[in-house]
Amino acid sequence: MFRLGLKQMTPIGARNYATLREIEMRLKSIKNIEKITNTMKIVASTRLNKAQRAMQASRVFHESDSEFIENAELEAKEADKTLLIVVSSDKGLCGSIHTQVSKAARKRIEALGGNVDVVTVGDKVKTQMLRTHDDKLKLSFNGVGKEAPNFNEVALIADEIVKLGTYENTEILYNKFVSGVSFEPTTFGVFAKEAIDSAPGLSKYEIETEETSEIISEFSLANSLLTAMAEGYASEVSARRNAMDNASKNAGEMINSYSILYNRTRQAVITNELVDIITGASSLD
Amino acid sequence: MFRSLRSVKTPIKSLVRTYATEGEGLKLSLALPHQTLYSNSEVEQVNVPSVNGDLGILANHIPIVEQLRPGLLEIITKSGETETYFVSGGLATVQPGNKLTISAIEAFKPEQFDISEVKNLITDAQKRASSSDEVVSAEANIELEVLEALQTIAK
Repeated sequence: MFRLGLKQMTPIGARNYATLREIEMRLKSIKNIEKITNTMKIVASTRLNKAQRAMQASRVFHESDSEFIENAELEAKEADKTLLIVVSSDKGLCGSIHTQVSKAARKRIEALGGNVDVVTVGDKVKTQMLRTHDDKLKLSFNGVGKEAPNFNEVALIADEIVKLGTYENTEILYNKFVSGVSFEPTTFGVFAKEAIDSAPGLSKYEIETEETSEIISEFSLANSLLTAMAEGYASEVSARRNAMDNASKNAGEMINSYSILYNRTRQAVITNELVDIITGASSLD
Repeated sequence: MFRSLRSVKTPIKSLVRTYATEGEGLKLSLALPHQTLYSNSEVEQVNVPSVNGDLGILANHIPIVEQLRPGLLEIITKSGETETYFVSGGLATVQPGNKLTISAIEAFKPEQFDISEVKNLITDAQKRASSSDEVVSAEANIELEVLEALQTIAK
């Protein structure tokens, strides 16, 4: 909208008061926008530390699980039906974070031949998934991802997901936090009780009770979900900081060019008035 | 005087236990969802409250997976000090390679609990345990299980 305005305005030149007023108003609104984006950037920066700490803790928490999966040689097998949990959040203004994860989800759905049920965490990714795969969406959650996830809410979400029935394969798709400037959509595999029972490396472990594998499976779901949400939250906050940083920079550039335009226009108006006055005065002689 | 010192010293030395792989301590990771208490640090022994009974885990334990029950988790460090945490539940896994990873939902030191508050919560949970609603009574029973374990350790 602003870019269009700039184009409209420059060729006309600056000869009347209306344009001057217009430029002034536009300049003011851009300044306000810059203030907002700058504040959002600062808020995101302060949150980033906390988010990263939460992510670090959840990574260690998940380590025992991933080590078990590795040692037990659990591998995703061909399954009739896969449950894909796409983790994102409700809020926008954070760059391509939601688009990336839903793009990856679409790709994964295609790779699995469409035999997928989708669960979404977060409104943004829900609307994106509804656009293309509305028939596959089974369940969606919102109101999460406002701050770093806690185990309580994750357990509630996991509870609802378990109610959907058993799936041989469950995959959790989330944005993995790589560094302050990059993230990448990644998946976690969560394995059902049957898959754990038939894992080739399970004999390495001594398991006393039969329920244990079921508990491992359920715990692993909550566990992975927590890590996915914590990672997603950290990437979102850092992406928001970057997006707002860019927005502030762009606003600054626009403010510069508009200030120059504004000053030039003002000068032109003054010159015009002077010409009028001088012409009028000289005609009296 | 020297002799008497030596005679005291020898029996102590014989008490120190040695392992086949001396120096290879048990690597413990104790993680909560929001906090990491131990990260790959070497400890002497860990006593784990599991659903199948209490387990004392030393270095070179065979790999196991155990579900935790509400109870006292004891960690004996290399220097011989004992750290205790009350855990509500979770999983303890001894991984191949002399590693013990414990994922607990909550862990607090026993002195952080207030016994009178625990007693209040127990009476409250007991009321709900006799409720006719199945879900409510099941939840209350789980709560009671945790609280009763807590009652025995809180000071």
